[in-house]
Amino acid sequence: MSRRDRRRPRDERAPGEHEVKGLAFRDEVDVDEPAAGLARPPAPKPPRRLTWQRLTYMPAVLALILLALWLWFRGADLDSIARNSIAGGNVWLRLRQHIYLTVVSTFFVLIIAIPLGILLTRRRLRGAAPFAMAIANIGQATPAIGLLALLVIWMGIGRRAALFGIVIYAVLPVLSNTITGLRAIDPTLVEAARGIGMSAAGVLRRVELPLAVPLILAGVRTALVLNVGTATLAAFGGGGGLGDLITTGITNQRMPILVLGSVLTIVLALLVDWLASLAELLLRPRGLEGSD
Amino acid sequence: MNFWEYIGNRYAQLLTDTYQHASAVFQCMVVATLIGVLIGVATYRSEWAGNLAITSTATVLTVPSLAMIGLLIPVTGLGVAPTVTALILYGLLPIVRNAIVGLRGVDPTLVDAAKGIGMSRLSRLLRVELPLAWPPILTGIRVSTQMLMGIAAIGAYSSGPGLGNEIFRGISSLGSANALNQVLAGTLGIVILALVFDAVYVLIGRLTISRGIRA
Repeated sequence: MSRRDRRRPRDERAPGEHEVKGLAFRDEVDVDEPAAGLARPPAPKPPRRLTWQRLTYMPAVLALILLALWLWFRGADLDSIARNSIAGGNVWLRLRQHIYLTVVSTFFVLIIAIPLGILLTRRRLRGAAPFAMAIANIGQATPAIGLLALLVIWMGIGRRAALFGIVIYAVLPVLSNTITGLRAIDPTLVEAARGIGMSAAGVLRRVELPLAVPLILAGVRTALVLNVGTATLAAFGGGGGLGDLITTGITNQRMPILVLGSVLTIVLALLVDWLASLAELLLRPRGLEGSD
Repeated sequence: MNFWEYIGNRYAQLLTDTYQHASAVFQCMVVATLIGVLIGVATYRSEWAGNLAITSTATVLTVPSLAMIGLLIPVTGLGVAPTVTALILYGLLPIVRNAIVGLRGVDPTLVDAAKGIGMSRLSRLLRVELPLAWPPILTGIRVSTQMLMGIAAIGAYSSGPGLGNEIFRGISSLGSANALNQVLAGTLGIVILALVFDAVYVLIGRLTISRGIRA
């Protein structure tokens, strides 16, 4: 506030003051605090748009990392065990498996968590929300590896158990993001929409969901990044993925394989996060641009 | 052997694992809190440095923990070292972020007032800014601890300490009679530890959050 005061030319009126017939009046309401209990309006920010840097910086860094990895790996001294573990396009296969696990699990997370979040904020089911949140909290305390191991014991080794584990693990953060997003909507907006005669479904579709989009998208991004990470653990239950290279590297004590698997996983995670951040920017409703 | 018999039989081993798990997470959290708050204090006043700290911690947070541990093994070798390094590194991230956001959120008029009554820079920081930023920092610590509980379990794969060993013993003996008991004991142990830590943080919050800003 002090900075704004200093910038303002002397002859201008202070915010909230106005002149009526040569007399200066000041509004009763302090402009800096529009209403009790409401947070201060955020400082006007330049609208966040796709900038050149945002588009090029991350891919350039990732390409450099991959190039360095490739150069280093070509020069690395591989014995027969190490060569065996990358033979027959194994690296490519594991990468594809990893992407498959991430994409499929994220898809299921979204079609489970977002409708469930909407249901739990409707009037009839609102009472169940605290229970769901409590379960979500306990679920967050569960180690991913333990959950995955239990599912493997229950459903047998393979991709199915891994997918189930990844989905269960990521549903909770997206669910709580959706619920928080829908709850944070100014109730007066919903009332106004009802007032002009929109149906409950119309309010949900045309007012509530668009306003909650930023938070839901943030949840999607969290889920994607989380799923890339949890998918590395699929290797422990025979689910494949890049974690397989890491565990092979550790158990056989072949550092090049270990580093290859780790760096590829990290590059994939950063790439997915970057893509999700672009999606966040592009899908944000126009009306919310510039606000946070 | 059912689950309770299993626990009765192996309680000594389970207690050791639980203790090691809790102590590893606790010690790493203490170190991570100290470093994290220091980084926050050092960077929050500069727009550039603070944003750099927040962006880089967010980037590191996207790195899967197994990959991080995998990259640390060539540097530190197997054993406790990679687990502890990874735990401290991941523990830092939410704390740095929340410390910077919390310190920046302190009402500048309060700091001005503190300056006006003649408090030095250090005492302003220690007696005004940090107490006001403490609730978000404590939230960061809670988030970190929950996350470290799971990462410590994965650390067992690189021969780290803790209940993760129980889970991996179960995984490596899939199909045997005790596999389920081992995995279940390890997983439930970690869940219980996480809930106990969380309860302790709630208590710490009650005791340490300044009375003036308590809701």
